[in-house]
Order: sequence, then C-alpha cells, then structure tokens
Amino acid sequence: MIEVNDIKKKFGRKKVLKGVSFTAEKGEITCVIGINGVGKTTILNAIMNLTPINAGQILINGETINKHSYEKITFIPDAIIMQPGMTIKASMQFMADFYTSWNQARATELLGFFKLDENEKINNLSKGNRAKVNLLLGLALDVDYLLMDEPFSGIDIFSREQIAEVFTSHLVEDRGVIITTHEINDIEHLIDKAVLLDGGKVLKQFNSEEVREEEGKSVVDVMREVYQP
Amino acid sequence: MNRFIKLVNFELSRFMKIYIALIVLTGLIQLTGVFVTANSFMAEADRMIYEQGMSQAQFIEQYGAMTFLNFAKSLWFVGPIAICAAALLFYVFMIWYRDWFGKNTFIYRLLMLPTARLNVFLAKAASIMLMVLGLVSIQLILLTLENAVFKWIVPVDLRVDMTLGQIVKWDYLSIIIPQTFTEFILYYGAGFMFVSVMFTALLIERSFGWKGLLLGAGYTAIAALVMLSPLLMIAFTGQYDLYPLETLGLEIGLGIVITAVSVWMGHYLLTKKITV
Amino acid sequence: MNVTFNKRDPVYVQVIRHFKEQIATGAFEPGQEIPSRRELAGRLKINPNTAQRAYKEMEEAGLIRTERNLPSKITRDEDVLKRVRKELIMDAVDDFVHSVRSINVPVDEVLDLIKEKYEDESGGKGAKHD
Repeated sequence: MIEVNDIKKKFGRKKVLKGVSFTAEKGEITCVIGINGVGKTTILNAIMNLTPINAGQILINGETINKHSYEKITFIPDAIIMQPGMTIKASMQFMADFYTSWNQARATELLGFFKLDENEKINNLSKGNRAKVNLLLGLALDVDYLLMDEPFSGIDIFSREQIAEVFTSHLVEDRGVIITTHEINDIEHLIDKAVLLDGGKVLKQFNSEEVREEEGKSVVDVMREVYQP
Repeated sequence: MNRFIKLVNFELSRFMKIYIALIVLTGLIQLTGVFVTANSFMAEADRMIYEQGMSQAQFIEQYGAMTFLNFAKSLWFVGPIAICAAALLFYVFMIWYRDWFGKNTFIYRLLMLPTARLNVFLAKAASIMLMVLGLVSIQLILLTLENAVFKWIVPVDLRVDMTLGQIVKWDYLSIIIPQTFTEFILYYGAGFMFVSVMFTALLIERSFGWKGLLLGAGYTAIAALVMLSPLLMIAFTGQYDLYPLETLGLEIGLGIVITAVSVWMGHYLLTKKITV
Repeated sequence: MNVTFNKRDPVYVQVIRHFKEQIATGAFEPGQEIPSRRELAGRLKINPNTAQRAYKEMEEAGLIRTERNLPSKITRDEDVLKRVRKELIMDAVDDFVHSVRSINVPVDEVLDLIKEKYEDESGGKGAKHD
C-alpha cells in the first residue's frame, strides 16, 4: 500500500499541497483527478522522492522510500527520461543494466504489443509512440507499483486506446497503479478508486464501483457534485 | 560498486563524441604548429645562411638553436590545451545541467536508479577526473610525436634536443603533468576537491532555486577562503609561523575537510533536497 | 464479445447481466467453458478486479462452476438456468409494466397491442427472409 499522509508543499510562497492524504492499494488502479496545475505531478514526484515535501509523510509498504524501493516502484512521467539520441534498444539495455527487476521477456512482449521498432531513436518518434516507449520502460520492470503522470494527455486516439488496453491486460495485473489525469473519459470504467483534488486538498476519495452500486452515480456525477457545488 | 562503474561508463560515453573531437582538434592544431614553427625557423635559417651568407655558427650565436620549447611556448601548443581545459571546466557544470534542461529530463532516471544517489555524484566526478587524466596521457603521447616531427624537420646542427622528461619539467607543463607520485596525488586530489565543491554549489542551486544560486556562490567563496586562509593570515597579520612543509600539511588537511564536507553535502542534497 | 457499459451501474453488475443474457439466449450453453478473468478483462476492456468480482458473484449465485484449477464453466443445473431465464423475462416485464402503467393504459388494451406488435414483428421478419 502507498500511504500519503497529510503532505504539504510550497513553491516559494505558493502553497501547492495543503495537506493531501490518500492511499493506493496493490492490485488496484487509483486515479488522481484534478485540473492542470493542481499539484498532481508534484504528488507523484514527492512519492518518488524527486522533490522534497515541507510536511507529512509518504510510506510505501510501510517504509519511507530508499534506494531499494526503486526496484519495487517506478514512475512514468509524461516526458521522455532517456538521453536524446538513444534508440529504444539502447534505452532498454540501460534499464536492464541498472535494474534487477527488469523483465526482458515482458519488454519484448511490450514491443510487440505497442508495435514499436527497437532500432528507432526515441526522439524521432511521434508523441504517441514516445508515450508508449515511456510506458514500456516502466511496465517491463517487475515492480509492485506504477505511477503514471497523464498517460493519455496530448496523444492520438488510437494510441490512447492502445494504452487503455494495457490496464485491462496482465501487464498491470496485481500491481498497484496510480494515474493522474485531468480527463476521466478514457478510463472511467477502468479505475478502482478516484481521488478528487482541488485547491491543494483531497476533496473526496471513493471506490468507483461502490458509488455506482450504492448511489447509482457515475464517477463524472460525483465529480460534478464535488467540483460544482 | 557494480552500478557505480556502469554509471561512470555511461557518463563517459555520453561525452565521448565531444571528447574525441577535442583530442582530434588538439592533435591537429599542435602537429600543424610543429610544422609551422619549425618550418618558419628553417626558412629564417635558410634566408640567413644561403641568402645573407651567414655561417651556421654565426646564425646559432645570433638566433639561438631551436628547441622544442620554441614550439611549446607558442599558441599552437598552448591554445588547444586551453580549449580542452575550458571545455572540461564547462562540462563540470554541464554534466549536471544537461540532465535537467532540454527535451529529455534524464535526471528523473538518474535519481530513480536503485543505487545510492551519492553514486551519481561520485560517478560524474570520477568521469571528469578520468577525462582530465585521459587528456593528459594523450598530451604525453602527442608530445613524443611532436618531438619526433620537430627532429625530423630541423637538422641536428640547428637544434638542441630535449627528452620528454626534460620537456615536461618545463614551467606550466610540470603542473599538468605531475613529476612524482606524491605530486600526482596532490594535484589530482586538489582537482577532485575543486570538482566536488563545484558539484555541491551547483546542487545547492538546483535545490533552492534563485536563493540557491547565492548560497552556492557563497559556499564556493567559503571553500576558497578556507583554502587560502594561510595566505590571508600573512596578508592580515603580517606574521606567519609555519614552515613550508607544515603549510603543505595544513593545506592537505583543509583540502580533505572541504572535500569531505562537499561530498557529504552533495549526498544530503541529493537525498533530501533535490527537485526535478 | 462486445458490451457497451453504462456509467451509472456497477461494471461488475453489467458483466453479470451480460452473462445472463448470453445464457438465456443460448449463446452460452450449459457446461460451456468461459474465458478466464484475465481474458474477460481484455475482451470487455475492463479492470481485471472487476472481472474477478463478477466471476465471484456468479460463482456464488451458481451461474458458473469452477473445479480446482480448470477453467470455469457455465452451470448445467437446469433449475439455475431456468431461474436465469425467468429472471431476465421478469426484469423486462417489470420495466415494461412500470412504464406502461405511468401512462394509465388498461391491461386488456396493452395485451392486444403486445400480441399485434409481436405478430407484426415476426411476420415482418418472415417477409424479409422470403
């Protein structure tokens, strides 16, 4: 379980996170929803210890993050995080060199799944294909948790469909996934849990099947209630 | 340790194209320089001896026999060394900033490696040191080559030969190329200290933004003051009670402290304060 | 297998309804093997947890049976199958009655209309096939 406990973050004088708490379970897809600039990426960065927080605590399976954690949890930002000029193959080799949790068989499977040519240079790819390479490099690690920052943002509809398919496949099965998004449409019936964020706080977090079952509401219905009272 | 070596290897390979270009540039300019300086000396000698009818002995008396240093003191030789030094100095900063700036923010990947983040710091520092060492070694090979070319162009009567050993003892070359093992340790230790202070200053900037820029500059200034403190003692108090060897000992001690503090701070910043 | 899900009913409930329909119409035969939860999630493009939930509920209701590590199968239990069919019919009738009652139509008139419509539709279908 990933526990985010009352984290606060300031950029200069601007308070971006004013005490954010939520949990994400292994085997579930947790979706952090909020408009752009609300601090979604900051939360993911904080979980990965890529930016310091001013207060609060983040636990991954009960522990604070350390160097070994990066074999168990990985982050897929919405930008390429490999060197310019590297081919897909070289990037995969880099991952294989540094991570014992790298799963080459799954990487090969993902190349086929996404129909990518490993000899292509990453920087020459379309935005959609770059997003797929990013996903590939994260998904091919045998990690318990995957954090994805806006995996559907700014890419073509076919790539979006293909990426959505990842979530219904064995590729994420049994792992804990946290996705941030400002647009829920593509994945509304895929997610287990929604965390609605605004003004630096979590306004509501709920299990999507539960609100359908108990209140007969869609995720978007709840969002409407929370964001437009 | 294994991942550390992989990181060093990776950092070296990232700079390899430019590094090789620097080596090729140095080689080309210096070899051209040997030709140009030796040939112009020979042209002068030809003019004096064949046109003005000067004897060889007179010519040598008036102009002096050519030594390798005639070339080594010229811009042909010093220029490329300065370019390489400037490039590496610049790269001390770029080796970090290139990971933050540009389309590919590679710092994400580096900070998410399942290894102590200090290894990233040390691997970058080690890469810089290795690249300096590499350039110096190549300069030694080039010197041998250039000396041979020089001997080939200028006839034995008109030149004074120097061995490689004699050449590298000369002036600033003796700083770049340590003469003894102790010197080697001292020079490269000082180099490592410099790199670690710069890295830490840069990480302070990366961690605290604009404020960090001032703090980083402040840290560099403090480190410099500490290293120069024996000199400052003389300047301000006018008296100084240490023997040279004691001063050396003091400087080594101070250097080790500064290096240790810098590396520790680098580790602290990378694990607690850094932001992508 | 292609299901369009609505957004306000639990997805697992919609999956179960889909299965019941397939059973009632005979698309799924008694004893037929059904996809694994992983396959189902992929085919219906749903979360594997949801597929798991649907299978668990169907298992408890006796709609499907799983023996040890073998693939799950549609039950052969006649009673259950009949009950499913009846349940679907009752659901449809309930909906129908609910909406017809809201416009106050006498039951005889409704029954006549239903018969007429039924014959029309089957007649129409027959005509098309000729």
